[in-house]
Amino acid sequence: MEFHRARALLRAAPALLLATAAAAATSDDDLASVRAELAATKSQLAATQSALARVESRLDELESGAAAPEQASSGPRIPPVNINNPAISLVVDTALKTDTHGSGWDFALQSGELFISAPIDPFLRGYASLAGSSEEGFDIEEAAVITTSLPWNLTVKGGRFFADVGRFPHWHGEQLPFVDRPPSIGRLIPGESRAEGGELSWLAPTEHYFRVTAGIYNSIGETDELPPTVGSEGSRGFDQLTWLVHPSTYFDLTDTLNLELGGTFATIADRGARYLYGFDATLRHQPGTSEFYQGFVLGSEWYWNNEEFQDVVEIGTDPDGNPIFGNERFRRNGGYGYLETFLSRSYSLGARFDYAEEPFGPVDRQLTYSTFATWYPSEFQRLRFQFDQIDQRHARNDQRFTLQWTAFLGSHAHGFATR
Amino acid sequence: MASQPVKLGSTALCALLLAGALPATSAEAALRVVAALPDVGDMARQIGGDRVEVVTLASGSQDPHRVPMKPSFVTKLNRADALVVQGLGLEHTFLPALLEVASNPKILPTGEAYIDASIYVRPLEVPTSQSRAQGELHPLGNPHYNLDPVQGKLMAKAIAEGLARVDPAGASAYAAGLARYSALLDQKIAEWDELAAPLRGVKAVSYHQDLIYLADRYGLELVGTIETKPGVPATPGHLEELVDTMKREQVKLVIREVAYEMPLAQTVAERTGARVATISTLAGGLPGTESYVDSIEANLKALVQAVQGGASG
Repeated sequence: MEFHRARALLRAAPALLLATAAAAATSDDDLASVRAELAATKSQLAATQSALARVESRLDELESGAAAPEQASSGPRIPPVNINNPAISLVVDTALKTDTHGSGWDFALQSGELFISAPIDPFLRGYASLAGSSEEGFDIEEAAVITTSLPWNLTVKGGRFFADVGRFPHWHGEQLPFVDRPPSIGRLIPGESRAEGGELSWLAPTEHYFRVTAGIYNSIGETDELPPTVGSEGSRGFDQLTWLVHPSTYFDLTDTLNLELGGTFATIADRGARYLYGFDATLRHQPGTSEFYQGFVLGSEWYWNNEEFQDVVEIGTDPDGNPIFGNERFRRNGGYGYLETFLSRSYSLGARFDYAEEPFGPVDRQLTYSTFATWYPSEFQRLRFQFDQIDQRHARNDQRFTLQWTAFLGSHAHGFATR
Repeated sequence: MASQPVKLGSTALCALLLAGALPATSAEAALRVVAALPDVGDMARQIGGDRVEVVTLASGSQDPHRVPMKPSFVTKLNRADALVVQGLGLEHTFLPALLEVASNPKILPTGEAYIDASIYVRPLEVPTSQSRAQGELHPLGNPHYNLDPVQGKLMAKAIAEGLARVDPAGASAYAAGLARYSALLDQKIAEWDELAAPLRGVKAVSYHQDLIYLADRYGLELVGTIETKPGVPATPGHLEELVDTMKREQVKLVIREVAYEMPLAQTVAERTGARVATISTLAGGLPGTESYVDSIEANLKALVQAVQGGASG
């Protein structure tokens, strides 16, 4: 009954409004009172429309059999989370390798990585990754906490984590589009960008994307022996800590083509022990189509490392004829460029060029030309084949073949940083 | 010390990056609404009218399971007054990661400005087990309920209530907007019931497992999917089984969602003597279907056309 009354009132409302408007034209003196009446009528009309919507909605619910009563006032549908069980995933990244140097065939667990993450409280979330491999044993790669609700678009991260260096240095191995870390990155920033310290990130409150991260760490990468530790238990002077700044920005060139740019500067202030400059650029075509061709990524990073290494150069001999080593500063650089194109929903093909120099000692330039093909049988497993032609200045050239098989167990979410 | 070219390069880079951060000018609307997907975006626009400025992240032609995470989405979410989602986990591949870096707690799923359009929908195909051996299942049920326009009315109701919660001053405007939009849907639902009458009892296969709500509403009988399991590409063995089933069950309709490739759907249709109908699971996926209403209508017309003897798409 309420439904029919509301509908009848709604039908009569335009006539009522017209009559009110006609009366208003008859006398200027009545203008104010008619306006008030009009406002009141409009208010009644809105209330009636609201009531009508409520009744109609309820009618539809009853007719469709939908909206069980217990759901009628429920909130957002969020997958159930057990606070005692954080999201857990295990990545199995295994490979079969061989090369033309005659070093034979090698089955290797490139990485077995257990990843755990969960909100800690309304202000903090935490995550950890525990990784093991055939070559490096088992270790805690990351264990960090991140703020979630600081004002002014600020985020603070602390613990052990991959410092926000460039693009690929802070990606886990299984997240890379290749079977290996680019050799240039491996040489200049060995061991990913693993660091113990803290980071502060700021997202500009603008329509244009601009983010800057500033960090301070014991060190970045595996070169933890420099600068020399002082005091006890590896502590060091404040000026011997590593500082980092990483701004990044992004441009939508068209609806489907976009460009991302970033810069990295890291330093150890103590007598200029280390300066690391980096630049990264990523051009993506993301047509969002169902055609065979599904887009490409063209990416490049380049780093310049200016660092003083200790006891690496022979500067003379002692009275017994033993060599004496001294310090020397080396300026080295390296980087890569790659193109990956996505075909159908399950395949990609790519090529990479890499130029790498050793961070100290002889230049030992290495050029690596790679091609790779990836097949995704599903979202949760991946097969990748890669061929590398490795040209080295001080060693015999080599060709390497790698077949990688990667699987993701449990929780599997793509993070923004590794998109 | 750093060389001069490196210093100059660094300075130029910083200048470029900072230039990009300068605020862009735009007309400020009363309520900045970000919609994760086009259908809920269109509804928010229809209901909110001039009180809202709606931007939509994904486009209708994209597979909602594979929307790229663009940094420009982060800034939209950062500045949003409200976020509208289709929900039931449909946006799980891109939205949670974007929200993690958007620094806007009020639009998180626990925030008051997170508007979930699914809250009044009774989900179908809720999995009884959540093993990945069953494919990429949505734990909360099939999230493609927007393909049934009666569910669309419930979406509109949830969105109107959400907008009123975020912007109480506009509550009466949103109620009026909902009333107008519900009346439009009522009128169209009656027309669509008549339009889609030829679909009742028709057997069909789809590319992805996303048509249960549409099938329930208009009487389609779904026999299988081209995908082996939800989100798992077809294998040769599965396709052979599907073709055998279609021949045995006399299935004459292959429904290809526009985000999925055509050649495989055509191959299956050719081997079984079926026709292919191309539809979109999101507004804007087909030409001239930017609104939810146009999208539903285009889908039904494509299905009816294929059933009555013509191919669509």
